Amino acid sequence: MLRRTLLRLLGLGLARRFALAQTAEPASRSSPKLVLVTTGGIRRQESFSEQGVGNIPHLAGELFPQALFYPYVWNEGTTAHFNTISSILTGVWQHVDDWGKDRPANPTLFQYLQAQRKVGANETWLVTSNKALTAKIGVDANVILAKQLLIESVERIIMGHSPHHKLQRDVLLDELTTIMQDDYERIGWSIPSESSILDPELKQVFLAALADFINGPNSPTSGDELTWFVASEVLRRVSPTILVMNFSDVEVAHSGTYSLHLAGIRNNDALVWRLWNYLQTLPAYRNNVTMVVMPEFGRDPDGTSTNGFFNHRSDSSSNRMSWAMILGSGVPKPAVVSREVRQIDFAPSLGALLGVNCSQAAGRVLPELGV
Amino acid sequence: MFCRNWGCKVANPVDPALLAKLPRSFVPALNEQLQTWDLLFPSERRAIQWQMEWLARLPDASFRALFQPIVALEQKMELPDWKLSTERMSVRDTGILVRSPYYPQWRAEVEKVFEKIGAAREAEEGQRQRRRLIVCTMPGGAQVPSGPVWKSLEPQGHWLLLQSPFAEVLPKLFRAVAGRQRQPDVEPVERTWVLEYDEMLSLMRVDGAVTGLCFNGLGPVRREFLLRLNSIDRNLKTVDRTYDSLRHIDLDAMMKRAYQPDVREFVRNVFLSGNGALLFGNSFVQWGASEAFRRAAPQATFCRFGVRPKLKPFSSVVLFEDQHRANPVPDRPDPEGSFIDAQVLVEYVYLSAMREPEYTGRTLFLVAMPDDNCALALGSAEFLTPLTKGSVPLSTPQLTSAVTDWLAA
Repeated sequence: MLRRTLLRLLGLGLARRFALAQTAEPASRSSPKLVLVTTGGIRRQESFSEQGVGNIPHLAGELFPQALFYPYVWNEGTTAHFNTISSILTGVWQHVDDWGKDRPANPTLFQYLQAQRKVGANETWLVTSNKALTAKIGVDANVILAKQLLIESVERIIMGHSPHHKLQRDVLLDELTTIMQDDYERIGWSIPSESSILDPELKQVFLAALADFINGPNSPTSGDELTWFVASEVLRRVSPTILVMNFSDVEVAHSGTYSLHLAGIRNNDALVWRLWNYLQTLPAYRNNVTMVVMPEFGRDPDGTSTNGFFNHRSDSSSNRMSWAMILGSGVPKPAVVSREVRQIDFAPSLGALLGVNCSQAAGRVLPELGV
Repeated sequence: MFCRNWGCKVANPVDPALLAKLPRSFVPALNEQLQTWDLLFPSERRAIQWQMEWLARLPDASFRALFQPIVALEQKMELPDWKLSTERMSVRDTGILVRSPYYPQWRAEVEKVFEKIGAAREAEEGQRQRRRLIVCTMPGGAQVPSGPVWKSLEPQGHWLLLQSPFAEVLPKLFRAVAGRQRQPDVEPVERTWVLEYDEMLSLMRVDGAVTGLCFNGLGPVRREFLLRLNSIDRNLKTVDRTYDSLRHIDLDAMMKRAYQPDVREFVRNVFLSGNGALLFGNSFVQWGASEAFRRAAPQATFCRFGVRPKLKPFSSVVLFEDQHRANPVPDRPDPEGSFIDAQVLVEYVYLSAMREPEYTGRTLFLVAMPDDNCALALGSAEFLTPLTKGSVPLSTPQLTSAVTDWLAA
C-alpha cells in the first residue's frame, strides 16, 4: 500500500520533468568531488508521501527531476546517530558506543580516499550539527561541530560561565570568537589539517564571516543554519574532495514539539536547495560534484510504546526505511529506483565515484551510478 | 511470600526461584520495580502480582516455550554482567543492549511475551475492569485551519453538539466527575487525574480525590532537574551519577503542594524519562498521561493542553536549557505552533490509552477546542447513541450526568 502510494506520487508529472532534465548538458567527470548530506530522523509521512510532500518543496520540486532517487533505503543497523552515520561512511553496519567514545570499527570513506588517492586531511571534511557526533566519526578528517560551537557559546553566557550576563548578539559573537581562537578542541573539533581552519589568516577570514552570520537579518535560532554557513565557507575556501554535512534541527522531535519538527524538515529542505545552488556557483564543484541527501532513519510510528515521532528506536519500516537522493555528475540519468537498497551500499558506491575501493564495505555498489 | 534479601518493605510477589528462571535481561528492570514496591501504584502492584502468580502456575514446558525466543537471543547478545541482585539497568547497560545487532528482535520478542501475558490476564480479569474516561482540551487562541483537526480520530468519532463553549463546560464536567460516587474497588489514586499545562483544574476544590499535576506548577522541580542535568560533563559515567542523584533529591521541598509518595515518584520518573516533559508543557501533558495510563490506570483523566512561548533567538539552540535565563528577549506566545503540537499530542494520548488493556474497549474519549460548542467523542455506542440522536445541543447538566452515569455503571 505504502509502496503503491509512493510510486503513484512520484509518478505525478515526472515523466515530463525527466525528459527535460535529460536534455541537459552531460556533466564533466574530471576530479570528482562528493558532498554527502545526512539529516536526522525524518519519516516518510512527513516527507516523500502525499501528506508530507508540502514540507519538502525543493527536494520534491526542483531537485527531484534531476535526481537519481532511491525511495526505499533500509537502515538495518542501530538507528542512532553515531552508528548510522558511521555505517553510511564505512559501508558496514556499526555497533559501537553511540556516545562517540569509539571510532567506527572499519575504515571510512575519508580514510579510503586518503590512503588510496594519497591525499591529505585537507581533502576530507565533516561539518555536523549533531552533538552526539564527536570527532571520532571522521577519523583523520577535519571535523567541525558547528552547532556545538553555537551551543557552547550560548551555554557559557546563560550558565554564568562568561563575563557576559545577557544573551545578545554582540556578546554571543564575542563568545564564539573566544572559543574559535582558543578553545575549539574542547567542543570536539578535530583539525589535523594545517592549511585549513588553523591557518591564522584563514581563521580571521572565518571569524569575520561568522560575524556577518550572527549580525545577519535572521537571528540564529537554528544550528543547521550555522552548519550550512560553516560548510559553505569550507567549500569556498578549501574545496575538499569530500565534504560530509549533517543537519539535526529535525531532532527537536525528541521534545515532542511537532510544529518545530516540521519547521526543521522545511529548513532542511531549504538549506539543501541553497547548498545545491551554491555548489553551482563554485568552479571547483559546478561540473564534477555529486551531492547525496539522505535522512539517517525515519522515526517511530504513531501509537507505538516508544512514543511515535518523538523517537527513533522501533524495529518498524516507519523508522528503518528511509530514502536517498543523488544529484550531479555522478548521476548518469535521472531515475526513480524502486528496488530496495541499504544505507551501507552508499559507501562503496560513492567510493567508486571517487575512484577508491571501499574494500571492507559489506554493501554493494549501486549499479545505477554506472561505476 | 516475603523475601528479605530484596530489601522490600512489603510482601514481595516474586519467588527468587522464579526470578532465576526468567530471561537475564528481565532481572534488572524487575528488581528496580521490586525495590520501589511501596512506591508503585495499586494497578502496577496488582499487575505484577498477577503476572508472577500466572507464571508460577504455568507448566514448565509452557514457561520455557514462552521465553525461549528471548533466551535464545540473549545467548547471542553481548549483555552486561547482570546478576540476580542487579538493582537496575544503568544508562550504560541500556546503551550496550540497544546497540546489539539483536536488539530489534529482542525488543519484538519482549513485546510478544507481554502481549501473551496481557491477553491471559484480560481473559481472566477483563470483565472486572471499570469503565474509563479521558477528556482532552486543545490550547485556545489559534487560527484553526479548515479541514479535520484530528485526522485519525474524527473518522472513528461522533460530534456532540453543546449549548455552551467547551471552556465553560469543562469546569462543571470536571467537578461532577471528580465528585462522583466512590466505588469500593477503585483506590483514591485511581479515581481522577489532571495533567495540565497551566493551573486551573488542579487548583479547583472538589469533592473526591484528585491527582493534579501541572507543568507550570511543577516549575521549581523542573528547573532544579535542568540545572543538574546541564551542569554535568556529557559522558556515561557522570550521566549515570547525575541520574542517580536526581533519583534521590528531596522533591517535597520543591513542590508547591504535598503529594503522596507514589505520585511524587511518578513526577520524578516522568521528568527523568525524557520525551520533552521537562521542557514543554504540552509534551508533559501527553507523556504524563501516557505514563499514568500505563502505571496508575486512572478511571478518569483530564488533559489540558496550553500555549507555549515562541522559541527565542540564540537560546533556542540549547533547547535543553531554561529559555528564560539570561535572555533579555521577552516571551511571546505561539498559539499556532502550540495548536499543531497539540493536534498530534491529543491523538497520542488516545493511542497510548488504547495500548493499555485497562482502557481498550471500555473508554469514553472526549476532545474539544475550548471556544467551540461541540466535542468529538469516541467510545461505546451505548454512551454515544442517545446523545447524538437529535440535533438539539446538549446542556452542560445533560452531558455531565450522561458521563457520570456511564462511569458509574
